[in-house]
Amino acid sequence: MLAQVLFSGVALGSLYGLVALGFATVFKATEVFNFAQGMLAVCGAYFASAALSTFDWPFPAAVAFMAAASAGLGVAIYGVLIQPLSGRSMLAVIMVTIALSIVLHSAIEIVFGSQGRTLVTPLPTGVLTWGSLRISELHLTAAAVAWVCMGLFAAFFRFTSLGLLMRATADSHEAALVSGVNVNAMNRLAWAIGSLLAAIGGLFLGQLQIVSTDLESIGLLALPAVVIGGLQSIPGAIVGGVLVGVIEQLAAFYIAPESTEIVIYALLLLILLVRPWGLFGERELGRV
Amino acid sequence: MSDASALVAVRARSPVWRRLVRVALGVGLLAVALYLPFVLTDRAAFGYRLSNVQLLNLGLSQIDLMLIAMLGALSLNFLTGCAGLISIGHAAFYATGAMTAAIVGSLWGWPFPVALLAAALMGAIAGVLAGLPSLRVRGLYFVLSTLAVHHVVAYIFLQVQVRWFDVSGVPYNPAALGGFALNTPLRWYFFLLAAVALVYWGLRNSLDTREGRAMRAMRDHELAAQASGVDVRVLRLKAFALSSAIASSAGATQAYFMTNISSEAFGLDFAIQFIAMIIIGGLGSLTGSLFGAAIWLLLPSVIAGFAPQGAGAVAALVAAHKPQLVQLIFGLLVIVLLIFAPGGVASLGRRLGALLAPRGPR
Repeated sequence: MLAQVLFSGVALGSLYGLVALGFATVFKATEVFNFAQGMLAVCGAYFASAALSTFDWPFPAAVAFMAAASAGLGVAIYGVLIQPLSGRSMLAVIMVTIALSIVLHSAIEIVFGSQGRTLVTPLPTGVLTWGSLRISELHLTAAAVAWVCMGLFAAFFRFTSLGLLMRATADSHEAALVSGVNVNAMNRLAWAIGSLLAAIGGLFLGQLQIVSTDLESIGLLALPAVVIGGLQSIPGAIVGGVLVGVIEQLAAFYIAPESTEIVIYALLLLILLVRPWGLFGERELGRV
Repeated sequence: MSDASALVAVRARSPVWRRLVRVALGVGLLAVALYLPFVLTDRAAFGYRLSNVQLLNLGLSQIDLMLIAMLGALSLNFLTGCAGLISIGHAAFYATGAMTAAIVGSLWGWPFPVALLAAALMGAIAGVLAGLPSLRVRGLYFVLSTLAVHHVVAYIFLQVQVRWFDVSGVPYNPAALGGFALNTPLRWYFFLLAAVALVYWGLRNSLDTREGRAMRAMRDHELAAQASGVDVRVLRLKAFALSSAIASSAGATQAYFMTNISSEAFGLDFAIQFIAMIIIGGLGSLTGSLFGAAIWLLLPSVIAGFAPQGAGAVAALVAAHKPQLVQLIFGLLVIVLLIFAPGGVASLGRRLGALLAPRGPR
């Protein structure tokens, strides 16, 4: 039974890790703590759902549409909301992302109605049995896609020159600026990536449950994930996501289904008190 | 030369002039505040009947809720705007108050004022506990710790509610201050008006004390404040205790006002609305938080009341999605304010004042 719980924890956690990776990318590049990340995942699920059931497009076209639309949304958010607020207090920026999630939430409910929709995709939905272990193929696909995406983006940041430019920009805006890097373009790209990763997570979360604005709270689990892992760290986001998924499933199974949030946030509180820079983050010196 | 002398004259005259304006404004505001509830109850002013639209679709109960929210907005602005501690856990303190009132008032059957005091005390304790991470973490990490506190308190409230009360909510006894039963919106109004005035006056004065000034110094530059001999750690906890004691009594008051409340009433949205209020009103401006609370609580019904008179298709859309549209307009309003009026309503007011005031030479 433990193996079963661990498996679904890791599978769900991989999705959280994916959303958290998007979050960390945005945070590293623009230092914006994006409370709308959960809503961006919901937007992705709705983009896919609109393409599949409203426009009747084939699955690959729907995924391409979702990717393009959510990347565009990320760029638009950066240009319209974040750039004008650059240099302003942290609260203003946090609040603008909260307001953004309110706007997206109500806009989605106006356009698509407040009822959830089911997402019909050709992804495998069967169950593999392996001994006493029952593995849902959808969970397996979700985990596989999440790890492939995370691997691709890690390789992108590590090995391509564009990834190097992005990391350099994240390290120091000024230094990148004097070296001739187009900092705004890098930040736009970071927002596009962040939104895209959230959308992929949202696509699978919507498929595992139903597509509704309630998915936001699941997407928001990226926040504790990212802090537990370490805000500045890309691998930390992934590990934090997996950890949150596993803890959530363990708590739901061994304690009570409604106790998942408190267990996760209690862990977050503990980490903040003992090791505020997270498991993988770098300790910030000079706190004032 | 003549310009300069005119300026001197204006400067010399302005204190008296300003004081007069201030007194007139105060008297006018007081008169409106005292007469408004009767207008809203009788639906008439000076004998003239007023239609719903003329009264902006407002009812006295909404005004009462607004006054309760003003308590929360004032206390959060004190914490965030004046002490510089960002908290998204303010709903947790409301919940602490409601929970304490549930135990003291509903379970033990003690009277309303005792429940209110107990809520304030518990709120202060909870505030100190919630503020403890501030000794160790700063900025963003602290915001997250308040988020974690929010989830912990919400869970405890749910457990209390399910164990000792009903799943659907906690029932509260009718509130009374001694022999004065708070059983109509009108009576609540005067009680709440006095409470808001008291809190506003108290916070305003506390900002002018030595500790209040130290607190603002801490907000502006923590290191400089520390170097000047301010113990920022203790000061932070004190600010937290005061703010959450107020929020907690407001939560108990809200619970008694609603007569039945469930832990779901104090979700994350509830906490976020206070942040929105103080941003709309203007960070650090206590008067601004009053405006922020008023805008946040009254505008929805104003929008909702005016909407159905629009054209056919628009009216149908509005009728089908009223709550979502109200939320949409709000979100956009907050975004617009954040981008174009960083100081909120308070700074708009100041700018307007500067525009109207006679200009001296530059």
